[in-house]
Amino acid sequence: MNDDQAAPLIQRLQALLATALQVPAEAVNESLSFGDLPQWDSMGHMEVMIALEAEFGVEINADTITALTSIPAISDYLKGNQHA
Amino acid sequence: MPDQERLNQIDSPATVLILTPELPIPEHLVGEVQSKLAYVDEDIQAARVAGTGDRIELHLRQPIPQERLDEVSGKVQRVVVSMAKGAIQPKVQLLEDHLKRPVPFNADPHPELIARGELSQEAEGIYAFGPLLSRLMEFFESQFISLADSFDAAPYRFPSLIPAGYLERVGYFSSFPHSLTFATHLREDLEVIDQFAHSAACEAGELNVPLESFAPVQSLLSPAVCYHLYFALADQPLPNGQAVATAVGNCFRYESINLTSLERLWNFTMREVIFVGTKDFVLQSRETARQRMERAFASVGLAYRVESANDPFFIGEFRKQAAFQSAFQLKFEIRARLPFKNSTLAVGSYNYHQDFFGRHLNIALPDGSPAHTGCVAFGLERMAYAFLAQYGLDPAAWPPPVQEAFQ
Repeated sequence: MNDDQAAPLIQRLQALLATALQVPAEAVNESLSFGDLPQWDSMGHMEVMIALEAEFGVEINADTITALTSIPAISDYLKGNQHA
Repeated sequence: MPDQERLNQIDSPATVLILTPELPIPEHLVGEVQSKLAYVDEDIQAARVAGTGDRIELHLRQPIPQERLDEVSGKVQRVVVSMAKGAIQPKVQLLEDHLKRPVPFNADPHPELIARGELSQEAEGIYAFGPLLSRLMEFFESQFISLADSFDAAPYRFPSLIPAGYLERVGYFSSFPHSLTFATHLREDLEVIDQFAHSAACEAGELNVPLESFAPVQSLLSPAVCYHLYFALADQPLPNGQAVATAVGNCFRYESINLTSLERLWNFTMREVIFVGTKDFVLQSRETARQRMERAFASVGLAYRVESANDPFFIGEFRKQAAFQSAFQLKFEIRARLPFKNSTLAVGSYNYHQDFFGRHLNIALPDGSPAHTGCVAFGLERMAYAFLAQYGLDPAAWPPPVQEAFQ
């Protein structure tokens, strides 16, 4: 997958995280990671996980909770698991 | 009324309410749901999740009308749905398993401690301890102090009270509202104080004083020891980039009808060793502490295991916080065997908070990033109780290191 194809997914994720974390869209950059915003704390992270479950069918388990801690990691996971 | 029956109304003044939960309660949540049912309604005297998580038994303090039964049922279902809907299976990790270590005793020491005057109950969850228990707690605390010394931990002393604003700042009110204990005093008003002095009395264990006589709550009784250190370090760079401290303190967690025997106290004592610094420093220190305590517990013959766990978050945050804590392996409990009931009791824990306190309290590492924190915490009363449950009250049957400490 090249960058052009990846871009829409990143944008979808930025929008998803902004909603889940209840922050303005401009606060969510392409490389945002857990802890970069006060809202992306433990509770915020689980909101992100629930949003990913609803939007992409990602199963919430210990592995995904610990792995999906940044937008690039989420993007890679979704592409690798054909969720995107 | 398909999911609800009233039983025993003739034979007993209490009423038993049987409910079928709207969602089956997964096995890993049975204990958590059961403990939360204590907080559902003041008319609940006892609660049990039975069967395969498909049956809830509530023992009520008194017969109540159908309207109230429906209300209680609705609240119970709300707890069940909140905790069981979309429940996330925890990742269970066993770090140590010494549960089968042979121990010579197999009875509940509680009745004998009461009979000997070694233990006296002042109220639910509040006990006074006699010489045997006091010396045992001192012995085990000496083990934990040795652990602290091995890290060259700085000694601290903290108050039993903690400002409400402190707990608010770390989100304690939303995470653990059910277990809070509030401190207050009479309003600074001569008439209020005079009125109290002349008419205050206890009726059925409750003070008959109007709530308006009390001042607004500014402080609570502290639920943990380590919080005080984090507040002492707040809003400044961390000196030397890391800290190790130790302190013992009274802790207060209200557990309602779950306050039974020495297993669950409202007022208990914890000795903690606390680590503040980088992620690697805190995690390595926590692991080193666990390894050192494994040798210490072996020397006193304790039968126990160390396994991953989560804190008892209230229902609103339980599902998310518990899943997060479990996934990141933030908490491991030391669970001592209670042979008389074939179960275990948490006597301590190894905790890592990531940079939660560093971020919320602005504790900065030299590079400006938030500090990570962790603590190892030991409940002294539970430690002594679990030991007596495994070895009995006769010191002649105790392992030599414990005997020697008593000579």
